[in-house]
Amino acid sequence: MRNVFGRGFDSRRLHQIMMPHVRYRGSWAAALLLAAVCLAAVLPAAAGDQRTIVLDPGHGGLDVGAKGKFGSLEKDIDLAISKKVKALIEQSQAYRVVLTRDKDVNPSLENRAAIANNNDALVFLSIHVNGSFRKKAQGSETFFMSLNATDEESRRLAYQENREQALDKSIAGADKDDIKMILWDMAQSAYIKQSSQLAELIQAQLNSLLGTANRGIKQADFVVLRGVACPAVLVEAAFISNPEEEQKLVDEAFQDNVAQAVYTGLMRFLAAYGKN
Amino acid sequence: MKKPRPILFALLLAVLAVLVFWFIRGFAPERIAGPGEAPSPAASPEAPVSKETMKATLFFLRDDDGMFIAETRDVPSTGSVTADAEAVLAELIKGPTGGLVSALPPETKLRQVFLTKDGIAYADFTKDLTAAHPSGSDAETATVYAIVDTLAFNFKAIKKVFILVDGEERETLNGHLTLNRAFLPDFTLIAKS
Ligand SMILES: [Zn+2]
Repeated sequence: MRNVFGRGFDSRRLHQIMMPHVRYRGSWAAALLLAAVCLAAVLPAAAGDQRTIVLDPGHGGLDVGAKGKFGSLEKDIDLAISKKVKALIEQSQAYRVVLTRDKDVNPSLENRAAIANNNDALVFLSIHVNGSFRKKAQGSETFFMSLNATDEESRRLAYQENREQALDKSIAGADKDDIKMILWDMAQSAYIKQSSQLAELIQAQLNSLLGTANRGIKQADFVVLRGVACPAVLVEAAFISNPEEEQKLVDEAFQDNVAQAVYTGLMRFLAAYGKN
Repeated sequence: MKKPRPILFALLLAVLAVLVFWFIRGFAPERIAGPGEAPSPAASPEAPVSKETMKATLFFLRDDDGMFIAETRDVPSTGSVTADAEAVLAELIKGPTGGLVSALPPETKLRQVFLTKDGIAYADFTKDLTAAHPSGSDAETATVYAIVDTLAFNFKAIKKVFILVDGEERETLNGHLTLNRAFLPDFTLIAKS
């Protein structure tokens, strides 16, 4: 699985551009001009070199998601937490963040995955809170994609041999334009292992920061994860259907903790597996 | 008198073959019986000639941990897998009698069940199954496997279950689990003892 993460930010290049100011010390005009040129050259270059984290707040619009007894809606909490995660990631200035929705709309599940692929995303995180028929259901869990028997059958049909390697090569080697707008069915199957590592690291943080019951990491066949061509997980932070947990979920400080847990888990994942 | 015999025999065979062909053809279509059709007199539930019943095992949720607990009930049986499957699912929708929790919205109605030759049961519900659904990945998973496990547990002929809503495939119930595929049962969701 080499090169899955692509290029990182190249700090040496930045130095080469910034250093020459020593030569032009004599002239303020030249220095100013150089500074302007440097800024113009460096800023877009840096932005271009930044990899993208795609955050996916669940549901939206007419799809309110799960509902709480006190009237809170999953879609609102998903969006609030996602925006907090975005702010934390952007503070570090190392990554670009794209939200699949930043207001009360409901992009299709395929479009959410396509946004990740079109941005050549480094990681895709879908943020949800859980809902149950059971009043006692509680706790937090992190999901990654499962390959069930039916999927295995369709995979076998579509890709006879070693699909993982083929997909890996096409991502690493091909011009980025070639893979734009492409949404593979089951593209996620090439990233199951990394996704499980990501799930584990986020779940560990949820456990230590939220104090909610540990429901562990699980595998499920979620539509939104299927077509994502990078490590991807779906976080279920507590149960909005449980009145006690609903009250936590609408609390700003609790939402901050969820965001911090997701952010820290993500950073640990990138530190361990995201650097070339 | 001995000469015509082989011809008669052949004729008899031909007639038999045609009859067998008709018989098989009549049963080959995927739908064996549905509630919308006029039931054949022999299998009619209205005809109180012989009131057969079957022991149905229904799966409901334990509130504490979400594991399935079985509740057994007598339901009317016609001997036809699809008609019996419809009776069992109708009973599942009625919900538990004890302290368990149903994994289907009570508003749900079953439209019909049909069965393919390779053992895939299509369970077709009204759109109340999604409209009245509480959403959440836990609730979606519970609904799907309450239906799939109940059908597969009660009927050997049913190997996989495909859930339809108003006669059509749905991408998900409410935004999580992939629904437009046949599900194998997952009996690990049933509580031990
Ligand atoms: Zn959700």
